[in-house]
Amino acid sequence: MKKRLHVLALIMAVTMALTTLAACGSSNNNGGSATNNPSSTNSGTKEPAKDTITALLPPVSGNFQSNFEQMEKDFNELYPHLTLKIEPASWEDMTQKLDTQVNAGSPPDIAFIGSGGISKYLQQGMLMDIKDVVTDEMKNDFDQIPYDYMAYEGGQYGFPAYMEVHALGGNKQFLEDAGIDWKGVQENGWTYDEFRKAIQAGVVKNADGSTRYGFVFATAGVASKDYLGILAKSAGMPYYFDQDMKYTYTSQNFLNLLTAVRDMIDDGSMPKELSSVDAGKRWNMFLTGQTMITGKGLATFENSANLNNAKIKANDGSAVAGSIEAEYIVLPVPAFFGNDFVPNTVVDGYVTFRGKKEPTQEHKENVAKAAYFLASGKVAAQTNNDLFSAHITASAKEAAKSMEVNRMPENVVAVENMLAQAVPNRTDIPVDKAAAAIKIETEVIVPKLQALLANEITPQDMYDAVKAAAIKTFGEDGIVVD
Amino acid sequence: MIQTVKTPTKKRKIKGDSVWGYTFIAVALLVFAMFTAYPVVSAFIISFQEYKPLGSTFVGIENYKETFASELFWKSIKNTVVYTVLTVPVALFLSFAVAIMIIPFKKWLQTTFKAVYYLPAVASGVALSVVWLWIYDPMKTGIFNRVISIFGIENQNWLGSSATAMLSLVIMSWLSSHGTSIIIYLAALLGIDNSYYEAAELDGANFFQKLWYIVVPFLKPTTLFLLVTGVIGSFQVFQNAYLMTGGGPDHATTMVGLLIFNNAFTYFEFGQASAQSLVLALIIAVISLIQFKFLGNDVEY
Repeated sequence: MKKRLHVLALIMAVTMALTTLAACGSSNNNGGSATNNPSSTNSGTKEPAKDTITALLPPVSGNFQSNFEQMEKDFNELYPHLTLKIEPASWEDMTQKLDTQVNAGSPPDIAFIGSGGISKYLQQGMLMDIKDVVTDEMKNDFDQIPYDYMAYEGGQYGFPAYMEVHALGGNKQFLEDAGIDWKGVQENGWTYDEFRKAIQAGVVKNADGSTRYGFVFATAGVASKDYLGILAKSAGMPYYFDQDMKYTYTSQNFLNLLTAVRDMIDDGSMPKELSSVDAGKRWNMFLTGQTMITGKGLATFENSANLNNAKIKANDGSAVAGSIEAEYIVLPVPAFFGNDFVPNTVVDGYVTFRGKKEPTQEHKENVAKAAYFLASGKVAAQTNNDLFSAHITASAKEAAKSMEVNRMPENVVAVENMLAQAVPNRTDIPVDKAAAAIKIETEVIVPKLQALLANEITPQDMYDAVKAAAIKTFGEDGIVVD
Repeated sequence: MIQTVKTPTKKRKIKGDSVWGYTFIAVALLVFAMFTAYPVVSAFIISFQEYKPLGSTFVGIENYKETFASELFWKSIKNTVVYTVLTVPVALFLSFAVAIMIIPFKKWLQTTFKAVYYLPAVASGVALSVVWLWIYDPMKTGIFNRVISIFGIENQNWLGSSATAMLSLVIMSWLSSHGTSIIIYLAALLGIDNSYYEAAELDGANFFQKLWYIVVPFLKPTTLFLLVTGVIGSFQVFQNAYLMTGGGPDHATTMVGLLIFNNAFTYFEFGQASAQSLVLALIIAVISLIQFKFLGNDVEY
């Protein structure tokens, strides 16, 4: 009996050990390295080898992930020898999942990320340059500016899905009440002085003691980076580096911009608690009539506002608590201190990765085909329509003709105007310099901006801190002095 | 002759019960080796490298030099020490007080209280943080701000201001999960023989004298255990700062755990992150050693 128990316990122990090992083993087999070697067929025939392409995709639009099965099927019909295997991820998990896979040396072949992340992964040596396998037909389908956002130092690292403008959004009724000619602003833009007068006029003290602010921007945590970055574009600092590759956030414009950021809070146009207002909070403030203008504003917000309006009209209990009907008006960011308006454009798309093993030419071609399939035609048309984003491929524009979108025509024109003024991507900035600028941004700019917004330091203090960090990183000669 | 002596010894070793022992601990040993020992050794090696998935380069003690020269590292250590000093003793006191208050109850009521106090330990930390974010809403409508408005205090930017951000995390810790400590204290309290209390009563001791002369000395091993594990846990704290403040504003709540996470997963500087985690491990080891040296002299287990 004792011996039997021993044997039983041993079996259990071995099973547990094997389970653990099996779990580790299977994780090593997933990912890019396994798929980098398409199984070869008989060398005598010309039939293409079978291959599997993996993609890690977040819920880019509301319906995006529910279409995965159809996308995989459509791709397989188009290329019967290829299998597209899509792994869904939530936005929250996306970066962590991808980073873990990248650092383990087995990323997916394709991942949906912002073009801003390219330098980070390129520095790790884990991106796959598909420049030599992109056909003219693929390349010519894309608008040039968004296409170039996926390029870096001469390489092409995937295809863009859309180009979005980070603009502002206004409540039509409140804008008109404050006497703001929003159509004129959409057409001709506005200066910081005009904008400041407008947001001051938008402040209303309600009878219950609460305040409707003129302007609320999400700045809590990392969102503060967006706030400053979006304003800096139109304050003479469209990039971290100027044409002479000198760091621009040390110019007088930067100090003036920081002063403006503080002034808008001090005069009561923005709430004094701004540093704790996150993206959800400010959108809630917009829908509940606590602010006239909000930021950052994406085209898709018009859709969210429309949906909430419909719920209010239908007396639907799932409408945002305390919300009012609000017509969303797309507004440009003001131009600061006599500088040109430069829209902050973001390009997100399907970035191509490689595993530890060198990918074969055939696999590269297959990955490019899959990335192009996702970034163009019907898939792109449907996704961008859901997002109210402009189409950036001829094939998606064609496919979208038969699809209906409920957008305010003025907003469509306003977004198109801004996109037309988008500045091209800088592909000449060396990877290490871009990474150093991102490090200053995370370690100095974001924390100091939080302190500035909380009124704990002065604009001059923040400017000095950023300048000191820039000199330490790029040297006295590596920064703009004016 | 020698061979004849050796052979039976070998046989005895293989045939003995010890072989079963080694076989059974093999699983635990394997899991320990794979998920604890290997990562530690790996971290030690990576701390001397600039890590890249396609091939790391040896950089000597550069990562350690950068760590010790980094102002942010020392600031994060200071923040962690402040957080630990403010949270661990209060947590011990609260758990002890709750356990003392629960112990006179009947068993079913004790169990109910134990379950109630343990509940937050089962809840997801992320969900708890979301609730706390809501409590700390900076606007006048926020729950905490409404409470302080009763006393005529203006609404505070709890998590957004350096003056209150750390305090907010500390308050969250004070009012969060003490369930595990309460259960451990209760178990220890039940282990004290009634005869000590009876003798004290005969001597005319009051409640506080019984507490001071009987309960506190008897619970010293438990307190030491909770203190050491509490300090270790507090030094590794990461989730609260990550979810509530992101380390801000101006690094006022950047704990060393969060700094290591950022270095590894935001900047991909695994070498520096590994060096910092080993320095942290060393700091924790030294503090634990000091605690055992000064508080554990007369503790018997």
